[in-house]
Amino acid sequence: MSGRGGRSETRWAAAILAGFAVLALVPLAAPRDDVLNFLLVILLSITLAESWNIVAGYAGQVNLGHAAFFGIGALVARTLWIDGTPIAAATAAGALLATLSALVIGVAAFRLRGAYFAIGTLALGEISRTTVGNVLAEISTLPTATISTYRLTHRYYVALGLAAVSVAVVAALARSRLGLGMEAVREDEEAAEASGVGALRLKLTALALSAALAGLAGGLFAYYHISYYPSHPFSPHWTFDAVLMTFIGGVGTLHGPVLGAVLYVVLKEYLAVRWVDFHLLIFGALFVAIVLVLPGGLVQAAARLRGAWRR
Amino acid sequence: MLEVQGLEVAHGDVRALDGVSLTVGAGEIVALLGPNGAGKSTLLLTIAGLLRPRAGRVTWDGEDLRRVSPHLVVERGLAMVPEGRRLFGSMTVEENLALGAFAPRARAARERSLERVYALFPALRERRRQVVRSLSGGQQQMVAVGRAMMTNPRLLMLDEPSLGIAPRLVDAILDSLVDINRGGVAVFLVEQNVRAALALAHRAYVLEQGRIAAHGPAADLLEDPHVRQAYLGPFGR
Repeated sequence: MSGRGGRSETRWAAAILAGFAVLALVPLAAPRDDVLNFLLVILLSITLAESWNIVAGYAGQVNLGHAAFFGIGALVARTLWIDGTPIAAATAAGALLATLSALVIGVAAFRLRGAYFAIGTLALGEISRTTVGNVLAEISTLPTATISTYRLTHRYYVALGLAAVSVAVVAALARSRLGLGMEAVREDEEAAEASGVGALRLKLTALALSAALAGLAGGLFAYYHISYYPSHPFSPHWTFDAVLMTFIGGVGTLHGPVLGAVLYVVLKEYLAVRWVDFHLLIFGALFVAIVLVLPGGLVQAAARLRGAWRR
Repeated sequence: MLEVQGLEVAHGDVRALDGVSLTVGAGEIVALLGPNGAGKSTLLLTIAGLLRPRAGRVTWDGEDLRRVSPHLVVERGLAMVPEGRRLFGSMTVEENLALGAFAPRARAARERSLERVYALFPALRERRRQVVRSLSGGQQQMVAVGRAMMTNPRLLMLDEPSLGIAPRLVDAILDSLVDINRGGVAVFLVEQNVRAALALAHRAYVLEQGRIAAHGPAADLLEDPHVRQAYLGPFGR
């Protein structure tokens, strides 16, 4: 009966966190690099999808420049870390800068509504990628001393922790007064304003929270990869991965992005091995089909099946 | 309390309001009558800050509201029940009411406001965990009035609250306005149901083609030949 289902979100959060607790045993039970790498990609994807879900799913603002926050987090964390700052502090600094830039970008971009906001943020994301690509054209590689002490298990636990944090943050948001306000803005911004709900402030809060998590995920990326081009984490495919995973699972729900991320990464691995770049076409078609037929994703499909079963 | 002076609002090239002036005083019930397309909704949306005027002023306790965001207009004590209700359909009654008490001043008075709303509309208390979309039109209108009352207003503006509602419930809604007014809240009512509106209002304005065509005490307008002919029909009274 409950409209927003804060309670069912909490149950889902508990189930997902229990699943993460099991995943914490994997490095002890099966300490294989291929397994850990695969799970790490899934966990990073969950964090990215949930972070995008906050601003798009809950506050209803389709941000297509999300990769910029991931990129800023990666850039700052990597630079400070290589300069000798501990990785935790470097990542925190990256997340902080991502959050601050979200507030600056938000004040400007939230003058735009709907599709214009989406296009505006897409442009900002591309500007950031091009700028970083031009200024820092050299590949970034870890110093040999760091490589010699590289432990995949550390990265794995950081990824697990971040995914848990992002799920917990969204679960808390779904129950909170803040989340209620964001959902009102998503449903009908004018009606929300006319009820005394300040829309701009809520949209900025959602964007800042989203950017903070994306920035932390960027820090993990910088900590995880031995070498990459600094502009790579700014690439729009990070945004569109998050969009796809969130929509496949169910936008504006807690568990949707988690399900979507798992399915997306597994499917992508499977398809990419067999059909190389052809998988992009399949995901494009899948996305269009979901938006047209099943805008609530897997979560909606499950609800429909349950409804049909009861009947 | 509320003062509108020489208000001009245009939708593109179409002039919707052409120099409208009116006032609503503390504790009053004022009705705004007029045919479809006269600009009644435009006027309410402009007062609420959702539309920007081309010329003229809206002042509230002497403060110019033209540059105030809609949610801050609400925070100053001016609430609106929009045309068509504009509820959050997938949320529960309780959640819709909570959104009315979102702003700081309203939140401080939240418990008291909620009791007042449930006292006005006992049906809402029973259905507080029900999704708004599943309610009848009349019950939804109660939620809309309730949500506006949760903002703890000093002036409540309503845009056609009787539209599309079963006649039995129209009376319940309009009666609630009298109760609300007795609690010290001024009411500014846009209504097609002219007879009912004039029965409960102290004063009324008639808006035609973006201009005020008549105004005065409700009792006088009931006797006005133009109003009777245009809005009450040949068998009026």
